[in-house]
Parts: sequence; structure tokens; C-alpha cells
Amino acid sequence: MKIGFPRALFYFDFFPFWAGFFHHLNIEVVTSPPTNRQIMDLGLKNASDETCLPLKLLSGHIQALKAVDWVFLPRMVSVEAETYTCPKFLGIPESLLSSVPTGIPVLSVTLNWRKGQRLVLKDLQTMGETLGKSKIEIKQAFYEGQKWQEKFQKTRGAEWNFAPTNLEWPPEPERLKIALVGHSYLIQESYANLNLLKKLREKARVELVQHVDQIEIETNLLELRKKLFWSHSKQIYGAGNKFLADPEIDGIIYLTCFGCGTDSIVQELLSRKARQRHKPYMVITLDEHSGEAGLITRLEAFLDMIERRRVHEGYVSTHGERLDCNSNTL
Amino acid sequence: MEEDKFFLGVDVGSVSTNMVLLRPDNTLKEALYLRTQGRPMQTIQEGIKLLRSRIPNSSEIIGVGATGSARQLAATLLGADVVKNEITAHAVAASRVNPKVQTILEIGGQDSKIIILRDGVVSDFAMNTVCAAGTGSFLDQQAARLGIPIEEFGPLALQSKTPVQIAGRCSVFAESDMIHKQQLGHSLPDILAGLCQAMVRNYLNNVGKNKDIQGPIFFQGGVAANPGIRKAFEEELGQSIVVPEHYGVMGALGAAFLAQERLAKRPESLTGFRGLKLSETQFQAKSFECSGCANRCEIVEIIQEGISLARWGDRCGKWSLAVGTSNDNSLAGQQRGQRGA
Repeated sequence: MKIGFPRALFYFDFFPFWAGFFHHLNIEVVTSPPTNRQIMDLGLKNASDETCLPLKLLSGHIQALKAVDWVFLPRMVSVEAETYTCPKFLGIPESLLSSVPTGIPVLSVTLNWRKGQRLVLKDLQTMGETLGKSKIEIKQAFYEGQKWQEKFQKTRGAEWNFAPTNLEWPPEPERLKIALVGHSYLIQESYANLNLLKKLREKARVELVQHVDQIEIETNLLELRKKLFWSHSKQIYGAGNKFLADPEIDGIIYLTCFGCGTDSIVQELLSRKARQRHKPYMVITLDEHSGEAGLITRLEAFLDMIERRRVHEGYVSTHGERLDCNSNTL
Repeated sequence: MEEDKFFLGVDVGSVSTNMVLLRPDNTLKEALYLRTQGRPMQTIQEGIKLLRSRIPNSSEIIGVGATGSARQLAATLLGADVVKNEITAHAVAASRVNPKVQTILEIGGQDSKIIILRDGVVSDFAMNTVCAAGTGSFLDQQAARLGIPIEEFGPLALQSKTPVQIAGRCSVFAESDMIHKQQLGHSLPDILAGLCQAMVRNYLNNVGKNKDIQGPIFFQGGVAANPGIRKAFEEELGQSIVVPEHYGVMGALGAAFLAQERLAKRPESLTGFRGLKLSETQFQAKSFECSGCANRCEIVEIIQEGISLARWGDRCGKWSLAVGTSNDNSLAGQQRGQRGA
């Protein structure tokens, strides 16, 4: 039996769990290839025009799955206590059924950690009946999946090569250090983001959300008056807040996509803090662009700004203080 | 002779191609403002030809800077020493003209930007995002639709006493709103002034969002020629706006200054400029779709008399790497390139 797993959206965070889970059940998992122009075109044509780019990409990846017995589209309602995933995750699989190639059945399960592990397991066991697997088998597979996921999170993804261009550049102190924050499925999606991560790594050292310890993320969330209840947003804000306070980080780039509801809030929260702290901050909004010129111009201008500022701030002013120290610009 | 030495600055944008010749003493010898008209290569060649006719034969170009959205293309054709993005180029030019400038409003053909400077250094900037509403081409389009030359747009708008309210969120909405106002019988100057206000509102809400706009404020880019927009900015910001003398070629001027800066840092370095005779040779651009993988990248190749100067557009780099050789044999080119390295 072969299960088709689209290489999009939840793939970038939770694939290890599902890989371990199905591996234990002796079910082969086939992923769609990394995004290419054809996949993107398919997604843009088929998905609802009102949804976001990552969901359109998911649609393309579903259509790219060939020769599989099932297309696996879990409804990941919640992945940890007291949080939800993005509302658009909740509409899966129904919102994307039109993308599934005819003749291939959809395998789905509702994963809701708000209800606790016992019920998550029960839902998985219901899915197991469809696959002809016993409750015991599902339980063991669940633990196996958790093991894989834990390992992935502990190594911060180092052992999972998502992008074919996952290059590590040696750290050099003179190089700028830039934090790139945003949803994993945009940052790691090297086709749709026009290879932003690689381009940035050629010019600077890069810190990502996944490089930040979970404990640090939690500490950085404490100051919020209300809890963020989207799990991705929690990670992004917590890490972003940490980068803002870190004197080693020269600037922060927030990668978002057109029409992202959760980013519209988190991005604004971070930008206000960045202004207070005079930290260079830039938002890059992705959509269906394939021309790189706009992205490169913004990237170069941002790095130029930081570099020229650094040289400038190296001067010791005879005046004693920066004239603009009360200004609220960056 | 010192007078015969120039820095060349080139800014190839979507709508206009600008070139300046800068003397080493920071004065401007020549400034050209040409329409790109979708043919950047020919426009660059044409510009070089024009410049050549205006300077003595003994002239020497001692440094070249390129900027604008086609800076890569311009740099390849010219052999530029410095290739910089438009933001840095505009900021450098403005702060050379007036070191105290704190805000630059720049509206070009396809994009608009705001640059915040403090003490002559860029401290923040923003560019328009996915939408090109409120840029020069929108004004161009509306002027054409109303049947008035773009040059008369601004002076006409200034005649307005009671500008009409026009929806400025989106250029499509703005256009339909404008048509409705026309049908109601509002005068042309009132509609044009309303359009200027809508565009400025849109710019300040989108591009200028959260920016600390302090004077002196420079307004540059092609749209700065429009006094209607300038007036709308002054009303909205409650401050006077300065349109620098060379507002239309500030990007090119910045590129020339950057070339000068580079030479000052490394006085022994020679320019890579390919010569003023450039306008006489044949450049060709070829594009093809690579079928190496499913990405189907569109590769552009620039050829000068049978020699491939540059290729770009590929995601994997296999075409860009194989440059600098005769174009009919890319494999041999690749091998030769490796030996050279």
C-alpha cells in the first residue's frame, strides 16, 4: 500500500511524525517532488483564488501525486494544548477535494491535541480501521511517530533536508547576522520564495525560528497581554521577540504571503517592537511572483542599509549623543 | 585633462532610462532622460550614442555605476564597476545634493518608495508591495484616457478650486470612481486634483505607513515633474517639499556617485567600461525555455556579435555559469570557464 503525502504546508513541520507513524505500519509514504513550475501552475489554476499561496501550492502538490493508493490529508486542528492551527488548516481536506486526482481516495484524520492524547489516539485508531490496522498497531505507530517528531525537533531539522539547497555557511564574525522569520512552509519553500534563504545565506549569517529553543520562545511570549492561540504564530512571535532583543542580530526579515490572516497580526506586533528598539526590520510579501527583481532589490537595499548604518555608527560623535535618539524610526 | 574625465551613471527603469555624466568635482556634465519603451538594450545604446555626440573626443569614462530594475542588463552591456539597487542609489544622490535631507519620496514608473535618512544614512525604507496603484504608469494611463498630455496633467490639476473625492485604494476602483465623477459633470481640473490627492493618500497609507516623515523632504523620480502631486503632498504632510534640480535622474546620479566612491576607495582600480563605441556594435537578446527539469526556467542570453556576454533567469545556475564564450557550444564554454577559474 502506498500513501501519497503532498510536500507542502504541514509537511514542513509534521512530516517526521507521519513518516514514523506509517513506517511502523509498514505503509510506504510517497511524497510529491519539491515545488516546481508545473506544480505551482497546477495549484494556481485549481485552488480557490481567495486562499493563500501555501494552500494553492498544497493543491498543486496533491495533483502531482501519481500512482498512490491514498492521498493523505489530515485535518490538523491543533498540535499542542491550548492552541489551534491556522483556520485554513482546519478546512482541509474539504477545501481541497477538487484538487485530488479522480479515482484516488482521500485518507484523512482529525488531529486535535486540545482534547488530549487519549482522544487523538482514538481518532487515529478510527483511521486505522480504514487501513485494516489493529488498535494496538496504531498505538505503537503513534509512539514511533512521536519519537521521530521529537528527534526532528531536538535537532532543529538538521537531519531533515527539506530544501535541496540547504547549505550551511561557515560562521564569520564580520558577516551580518540576519534573522528570517515566518511560516516554515514559506521559508523552506525554496521555489515559491525564489530561493530567498539561499540568497540571504550567500550574503549573511541567517537565524531561523527553528533555531530558537522552545523554552526561550515561551519566555518571550510572557509579555503578551493575551495569549496567541495559533501555534505557528506563537513560534514566530516568540522567536521574533528574542531576535529583537539579541544585539548580535543586525536585522530581521519577516517573510509573509499575501492574504495571511495570522501574519497580519503577528507581523504588526513585531514591527512595532522593532521600531521601539531601532532594529532594522523588513517585511517581504510573497505571492505568485516568479520574477526575482523585486525581491533582490529589497534584499540588497536592506543589507546595504544595515551595512552603511554600521559604518556610520562606528564614528564616535563629538556631540555626545545621536541627534535622532528620540525619533521613532528604526 | 581633468575636464575630460567623467563618471557615468545609468538607471534603467521600467519606464525611463536615465544617464548622467558626472565630473570629478561633483558637477553634472550631461543628463539624459529617455523612455525605455520595453527595449532597454537599444535605449542604453541610444543613450551612449547621444552622450558621445555631446562630449569631446578626448573624453574618458573613469567609472560606471548601474542601477534600476534592469541594472544587471545595463551592467553587462556597459561593463559597470558598481551595480546597486535603486534605494541606495537614490539615497546617495539625495544626501549628496543636501546632506540634511531626512525623507525621500520617490515615485517612478512601476514602483514607489519612501526612504528615511538620518545623518545622511538610510535608516528605513519601504517599497510598494504587490500593487502598482499610485505609480507613474497609472497617471500616464489616466492622462491618456482623458486625452491630455502627461505634461499638462499637473498644471491643470493646480487650477482646481474644489477637488473631488476619488477612491484611491486601488487603481481599478479609482478609475471607475473617476468615470462616475466625470459623468456627473465635474470639471477636468477638479477630477485631476482629486486623483492627485487620492494617489498621495494611497502612497502615504501604503508605502509611507508607520514612517517618521521629517523635513527636509525630497520628492524625486519622474512623477516629481507633476506639480499637482507635489501640492497634494504638501497639503497632506503640512510641510514644504523640495524637488531637487535633477529629480528625474537621481537614481543615475546616485549610481555615478557610487562609482566615484569606489574609485576613491581603490584609486588604482581601472574601470571595466566597455567603451563609448558600444553604440556601434550589435547586441542581441535571446530567450529560451530550459527543459532540464520541471521548472522550465526562462533563460535570457545577451549576445554581442556572436559572443555570449551573460545569461540569467535560471534557478540552478547551470546557464549563468557557462558565460563568456561563443554561444553555440555551451558545454565547451562550461569547460573553458572551469579551466579559467
